[in-house]
Amino acid sequence: MKVPPTLSTVLGNLFKKPATNPFPVSEPVPVPEGFRGKLVYDVDKCVGCRLCVMVCPAGVIEYVPEVRKVTFWLGRCVFCQQCVDVCPVNALRMSDEFLLATTDKYDDNLRWLKEDEVEELKRKLEEQKKAKEAAKKAAEKKE
Amino acid sequence: MNVDEFVKVFGERFPEAEVRVSENKMPHPKRRVWVEVEREKFHDAMKFIRELDPKAQFSIIIGRDAGETLEAKYHMELFWEEGESISLIIGTSVPKEDPRLPTVTDVFPSALPYERENQEFLGFVFEGIPDPRRLFLPDDFPEGIYPLRLDETGIKPEMVKNAGHPYKIRKEGAK
Ligand code: SF4
Ligand code: SF4
Repeated sequence: MKVPPTLSTVLGNLFKKPATNPFPVSEPVPVPEGFRGKLVYDVDKCVGCRLCVMVCPAGVIEYVPEVRKVTFWLGRCVFCQQCVDVCPVNALRMSDEFLLATTDKYDDNLRWLKEDEVEELKRKLEEQKKAKEAAKKAAEKKE
Repeated sequence: MNVDEFVKVFGERFPEAEVRVSENKMPHPKRRVWVEVEREKFHDAMKFIRELDPKAQFSIIIGRDAGETLEAKYHMELFWEEGESISLIIGTSVPKEDPRLPTVTDVFPSALPYERENQEFLGFVFEGIPDPRRLFLPDDFPEGIYPLRLDETGIKPEMVKNAGHPYKIRKEGAK
């Protein structure tokens, strides 16, 4: 019988350690620098310019006119980082997080600025407006 | 044969054809020949090109809805065995009421998939096409709708589905 040419390689490999990473027993393979993981949104920095809505190729972002912010559904994100690059105030960045599996496509972990947060922002803006008006009135009275 | 020679030879054979040469700048300087032929002469023109260079490489047909007419541009590389090839874009257009074009599959057999594609997506009719079946559209796709048309025979708004953004769904209700 002819000896198969791969035999020596196969036999040699039998005595080597496996070259696998037994996740989740071990840590996952570390991510490189500049890795594009889950998008992170900083609501306070956002100025509502809508540039990210324009560049996003995947329809992740919706503008919320009442509060002049944007809301994200990362279930659609393709991790292209275009919104991060275009944001003029650095309200967006890519994190290292990549373990994003879920059983619910509308999972809270895949959303930024959810409905209740929008409501709360609206209330805050309302209060600010009232406070301003009150201050104005008070100033007028003094004069 | 180089670009200038080709322009001369082709212009002599088809004096009424519109021929122009464009020039790409860096990083890939290249001259391209653009030819516009009327429908009646189109098949002859393709045959002539094949005779000039029997090994001409047929790349693709790009169809376009140009308003009143449908445009088809045939891209090919000529004389590629002689070093720098000639990049040729030869086109023709047909009125929408009468979108017939002669098939060129008898000259360039590899044109068949592109002709089938242009038939189903833009409503061209390639006369003498050996296999007029649909290529990409599903069998249950309605007849008389051409997805790449910009007029009323294109995709209807109700055919466009959007899986929706949760913020909008919760605000406006699922559709
Ligand atoms: S990374 Fe790309 S796909 Fe994801 S939200 Fe930003 S622009 Fe959209
Ligand atoms: S680009 Fe930045 S500042 Fe502009 S809307 Fe998007 S997140 Fe806000």
